[in-house]
Amino acid sequence: MSDLGFYTLRLALLVSATGVVAGIVGGALRREDWTRVAERTVAVSFVFTSIAIGALFWAFATLDFQLSYVANHAARSMDLAYRIAALWGGQAGSLLLWLWMVTAYAWLAMRSHRESRSLMPWVAAVLQANAVFFLIMLNFVSNPFDKLAPAQVLSDGQGLNPLLQHPVMMIHPVMLYIGLTGFVVPYAFALAAMLSGEMGTAWLRATRRWTLFAWFFLSVGILLGGRWAYEVLGWGGYWAWDPVENASFMPWLAATAYLHSVMVQEKRDMLKIWNLVLVGLTYVLCLFGTMLTRSGLVRSVHAFAQTEIFGVLFATYVGLTAVIFFGVLLWRRPLLVGTSRLESVVSRESGFIMNNWIFMAILGVVFCGTLFPKITEWFGKEILVGPAYFNAVNAPLALLLLLLTGVGPLIAWRRATPTNLRRQFILPTTFGLVTAVVLALVFRFDIGFFPLATWSLSAFVVGTIGQEYTRAMRARMRRGESALTALTTLLRKNQRRYGGYVVHLGMVFIFVGIAGAAFNEERLENLVPGDAVAMNGYRLEYRTAVPIPHQHYGGATARIALYEQDRPLATMTPEKRMYWLEQQPASIPSVYSTLREDLYVILTAIETDGSATLKIYRNPLVNWIWIGGWTFVVGTLVIMWPHPEPRRASRT
Amino acid sequence: MSKGVQIAMGAGLVLLLLGWYGSTQLEDATFVYYQTLGEFRANGSPGEAARVHGYVAEGSIERDVAAQTVRFLVQETPPHAGGTAQGAMPVVYTSLEVPDLFKDGAEVVVEGRLQSDRSFEATNLLAKCPSKFEGATEGEMAEAMPPAGRPTSL
Repeated sequence: MSDLGFYTLRLALLVSATGVVAGIVGGALRREDWTRVAERTVAVSFVFTSIAIGALFWAFATLDFQLSYVANHAARSMDLAYRIAALWGGQAGSLLLWLWMVTAYAWLAMRSHRESRSLMPWVAAVLQANAVFFLIMLNFVSNPFDKLAPAQVLSDGQGLNPLLQHPVMMIHPVMLYIGLTGFVVPYAFALAAMLSGEMGTAWLRATRRWTLFAWFFLSVGILLGGRWAYEVLGWGGYWAWDPVENASFMPWLAATAYLHSVMVQEKRDMLKIWNLVLVGLTYVLCLFGTMLTRSGLVRSVHAFAQTEIFGVLFATYVGLTAVIFFGVLLWRRPLLVGTSRLESVVSRESGFIMNNWIFMAILGVVFCGTLFPKITEWFGKEILVGPAYFNAVNAPLALLLLLLTGVGPLIAWRRATPTNLRRQFILPTTFGLVTAVVLALVFRFDIGFFPLATWSLSAFVVGTIGQEYTRAMRARMRRGESALTALTTLLRKNQRRYGGYVVHLGMVFIFVGIAGAAFNEERLENLVPGDAVAMNGYRLEYRTAVPIPHQHYGGATARIALYEQDRPLATMTPEKRMYWLEQQPASIPSVYSTLREDLYVILTAIETDGSATLKIYRNPLVNWIWIGGWTFVVGTLVIMWPHPEPRRASRT
Repeated sequence: MSKGVQIAMGAGLVLLLLGWYGSTQLEDATFVYYQTLGEFRANGSPGEAARVHGYVAEGSIERDVAAQTVRFLVQETPPHAGGTAQGAMPVVYTSLEVPDLFKDGAEVVVEGRLQSDRSFEATNLLAKCPSKFEGATEGEMAEAMPPAGRPTSL
């Protein structure tokens, strides 16, 4: 089986390279026959990479320790599910997963946009060129099908990093990859449109749709990453501005900016060049971030022992991706003149432009912070930047963004009139202000500026969304529809607008949850069995520690009884595990979670005298981040839900 | 003046103000030199915030539960590469909460300040496993995605 994988990767390289050539010839000479060839190679490449990844899955499932990749990332005692997930636990396997997704996307894009004849050869060429890069890496630099010398083959493997042996780890990287690789499609369509000079609406629609799709998965991936960090890493938080996190956050920012500004182009035919810049930037940032963390360019908490060649090749690839795109953009600038101009500073357009400014500012802040150590190293001394920098600089920007989330959708296009402003803003603003006053009173004026501002602005945004929904629903209900029918027709008739509001609502929840961090408390306690500690109305009583019976790891579970006053709430069971094979400990926290706050306990150590050292966190409102995540998912699904009838008809 | 320029100027002004505000919020410990133990010996002075990279000397870890500290020695060369604890820097970590990967021989970064008695008081401790994955046939550790252990970047 593994030989099959090895050779299909070789063949796929040939096929994809052919696709690039055929696509370029088909596009440049406008030859339909060559275009057909290019399109077919996409399907063939997809079949070959599918066989290859299937072969690697099979090797993990059957524990084929001849393959050094399997031997380095799996072990007999691991559950089948984690053996499968081990496929993306290392460099070569994750490259293969990435490649497979690129070819899958390419195949889907070919199927769904067959009618755009002048775009297709270029789209095929660009997509296949991206596949070629990963195929070169896989075939010649980091091949998962490389075999060990017969004398080196052992009867068991080395196992997987225990931190990765967690259910979330089975889906988080996959989601992230579906997101990151997905941006190759908008990139290909934008580049194809510029190369062919076919700057109509077809490419814009394709770009927007595929960006939305990839962005959805990237968002879910980022959220799941936070969830994983919270549940596994055991430091009581979900986001640490580690370069790896920033690497996925930066393309997300660019893509989010694009999804907003593309509306200005659709409605007002403005910002054409800027939108293309954002499409290119998003994909380049995906690759750049991947290179950053995988090549060890920036110090992250990862042991990347990389070969020189990997970094050089990847840097060349990222460089080419950027230079080609922006070079073509420069060349095609004359084709990209917009037909209208900004008419007023108080208008929906200018709201979107400000929104883009802020996204770019946050992107700049994160980019500089991530690369600062590298830049200062070139000047002699490596200086690291802590999370405090990111938080301090981004917090005011994020507040402005939150404000715009409420303001933007309410302002009229072109030019807002005073009547428009009054009609739209009086209620939500009052709601926000009342919230501010109530919060100040509840906290007896002992509340920081940031939490107060975040929660009041959140109330304001919720107010605007509520107003939009009730107004639209009332208008329908006056015509005799029931509330439920009114709501569903609203969501169906204008899914982008009303789904968008749901997405905004999700973001508001996430903001609410993040602001809760201002009230986090933590303490370190050393308790002997029977001891109790009180914390903010809770009482935690340490009962005993019991050994963990498990094949793959051992260790101790602390049993802690949790009371609110004298009412028993739960038994908390933080674990300290030792993964035998990997010789690595792991602390698994235990969380008691309510809508109000999380109580988060880590068993730091069982001391030699039998006492337990516990780290206890009280994290208010964390749950709202995950609730926001689910809301976000629902909203995006509303937007993406296939809805063929009315728009299709009006387009042709 | 066109509307676009007006917006650009307004946005630029707001961003400048925010940038200024952000820079006033930064604690002095946010930007810290990252040094190896050897560099730190040559340049480090007591009282200055620092991040120092080294390896935990074999058998040097002592947990003091009553004082809520962990004491250990940091040496420049890893023990598995023949480094010894000779001339190692004593570190007092002011918490009992150590990262999972912290153990004898582990690669660590300590953040804190040098004391006048030449010991190092660490308020933050990051550890990387002297993993058998590293330097193994392909030199790969399960690098998949996220940070292993602690909130700050190492």
